Amino acid sequence: MAYFLELLVNGALTGLMYSLAALGFVLIYKASGVPNLAQGAMVMAAAYVVWFFTSLGLSVWLAIPLGVATMFLFGLMTERVLLRRMVGQPVIMVVMLTLGMEIVLRGLVPGFLGAAPKPLDIGIGLAPVIIGDVFINREYLVGGVLALALIGGSMLFFRTRTGTKMRAVSDDHVASWAVGLSVERVIGLSWGIAGIAAVGAGTLWGAVQGVDWTLSGLLFPAVAVVILGGVDSITGVLVGGLLVGILGSVIPGYLDSYAGGSTRDVVTSLIILVTIVFRPYGIFGREDIERI
Amino acid sequence: MKWFTRTAGMAAIAAAMTAGGAVAQDNTIRFGLLQDFTAVYTFVTGEYNQGQRDYLTLVNQEGGIDGHTFNAIVRDTGNQPQRGIEAYNRAREEGAILFDFLSTPVSRALVDQVLQDEVVLITPLHGRGDASDGTTFPYVFPMMATYWSQATILAQYLKDNGGLDGKKIAVVHIDSPFGREPIPVLEALAEDEGFELRAFPYASPGNEQSATWSEVRRYRPDAVFIWGAGGGQSVSVREGIRNGIPAENIYSVVWLAETDAANVGADVMTGVHRYEAVATGTDLPILQRIQEQVIDAGLGAGDAAAVGSTYYNIGVATMAVAVEAARLALEHEGAPLDGAKLKAGFERIENFDAEGLMPPITITAEDHQGGGFGRVSQWNGTAWEPVSDWFAAYQDVVREEIEQGAAEYAGGN
Repeated sequence: MAYFLELLVNGALTGLMYSLAALGFVLIYKASGVPNLAQGAMVMAAAYVVWFFTSLGLSVWLAIPLGVATMFLFGLMTERVLLRRMVGQPVIMVVMLTLGMEIVLRGLVPGFLGAAPKPLDIGIGLAPVIIGDVFINREYLVGGVLALALIGGSMLFFRTRTGTKMRAVSDDHVASWAVGLSVERVIGLSWGIAGIAAVGAGTLWGAVQGVDWTLSGLLFPAVAVVILGGVDSITGVLVGGLLVGILGSVIPGYLDSYAGGSTRDVVTSLIILVTIVFRPYGIFGREDIERI
Repeated sequence: MKWFTRTAGMAAIAAAMTAGGAVAQDNTIRFGLLQDFTAVYTFVTGEYNQGQRDYLTLVNQEGGIDGHTFNAIVRDTGNQPQRGIEAYNRAREEGAILFDFLSTPVSRALVDQVLQDEVVLITPLHGRGDASDGTTFPYVFPMMATYWSQATILAQYLKDNGGLDGKKIAVVHIDSPFGREPIPVLEALAEDEGFELRAFPYASPGNEQSATWSEVRRYRPDAVFIWGAGGGQSVSVREGIRNGIPAENIYSVVWLAETDAANVGADVMTGVHRYEAVATGTDLPILQRIQEQVIDAGLGAGDAAAVGSTYYNIGVATMAVAVEAARLALEHEGAPLDGAKLKAGFERIENFDAEGLMPPITITAEDHQGGGFGRVSQWNGTAWEPVSDWFAAYQDVVREEIEQGAAEYAGGN
């Protein structure tokens, strides 16, 4: 039982950290209808940016806000310089653009800042939190709580005036234009906030594993989270993250010994496949009904 | 950033040198160092390649070998066989007679080609372990201990320090052919030596291993072998220590270096053991000459802080062996060198230790591994400290694996 609980708790916390990587994906999709395939690379770039500031001798607690500012600007500029040029183009071309961004970021950032894994110490000790025979990973615990706070903050943000504008834009671009909303500005803002979410995910995962290109691989679990939870739902990000994390921890915890290999990626792939087949809009996703 | 600009610079220089058709007719011996600077092997390639180029610069600064100088053709393959094949063909046209891809997928993809073209492929610490069989793979030279030999050296060390009989050993490995590679050899040893072995795979790239280590903790192993690379290794060490595994009971494959200690925390990692292929540090004759004649002269290929690090020194050692092979080839086969003569040079190497940088290796026409030597070192909080002499272990068991793999390759061709 203790083993099950340990897998469950650590899996849930890991899932919350995946949710943070997925949050930027959802924010951009909600505002612009574009699945951002560069979100994993943005997480990696954000971790590199925070590490870069620490390498200049700055405290990590100063490096993080500087990273937030940098990635917010990066998000805004991405929309202004790249995405705005794509207005009127088929969505598939915009998707290809984000894929191109992913490749460029994954090559250039390690190329300029160094490809070897880099340390990012945010001061969380290695000692686990021990409850009975259950060891809870302290990094995941802190990461999970922070992820929860950021996701909660995002939910509240959508209740503000600016958030309401974002919801309006996500509902209908043309109607938003018609009532005088700056759709471009709102979409730019969503990219900026996605950059901030990337700093959260990049810093936490960078502290766990070091900063290198493999952080961009967080796109895979992030995609599983948004497909399961619903690609336009922040509540879905939360629930999807928890489910992906728990299933990806508990099932391999019992199956790997028998399978003779790691089944975690198989579980994640199955989550994507089964969700698309049986509930293509995810648990909390909005099912758009189109008149034929 | 430095390695990036220097790599680009080297590539430009190489291209400029060959643009006028100035290939192979001169006294320049060209090596194709066509490696993965941007994908999977990024944790090692920068320092490794820097060490290789700095050593070749040192040899050139010291006058070359019998009037011959060395030129490194450096290109990025991104760990992609297609790009590796393209880079190989270009470097072949430019006159390269030795290749090092530092990438198992690219090396494996090009084995048939190098055998056909009769040029030398070195595969230190990567590639096919069974290529140690020189009769089946005459132009492929692992030239350092294969992963099988690394596993047997760690097992022998455990046997010499507390014994193996009745012990429980966990192998926590990345779920890939590389990660699974030591298991057959360790299973054979478990049967012979009476210890219990259990494998714990984790998903690539290894950034999340908590469920795996929860299971390892409950297994209560006496020793844990960690078999991964890059960021996954520091995650393994952290998870092991977090789950109460004493650091000194953790034993790593060769891919655990100073950068991993920085990621884990230099103090936290104190006590962790690893297999060591090449000595680290700068207190070695070759490294001191590199410092004086290459680094201090402003001719270094990268960040001077990397000189003496684990992967830098491995790079130096690979080129020291290659240059020694070229020296022997020139002495016995005569100029101009080609792949066949260089191969013969490799097979004349006997008790070569690069002035104490590496274990003495002997390469023969049958054994391209060089004897399967290495040693065990331990992280002391600031540096890797050897805790054994250079030795090889259970080479009969390793040889069985080599011959079995080689026979399967020969059967499929």
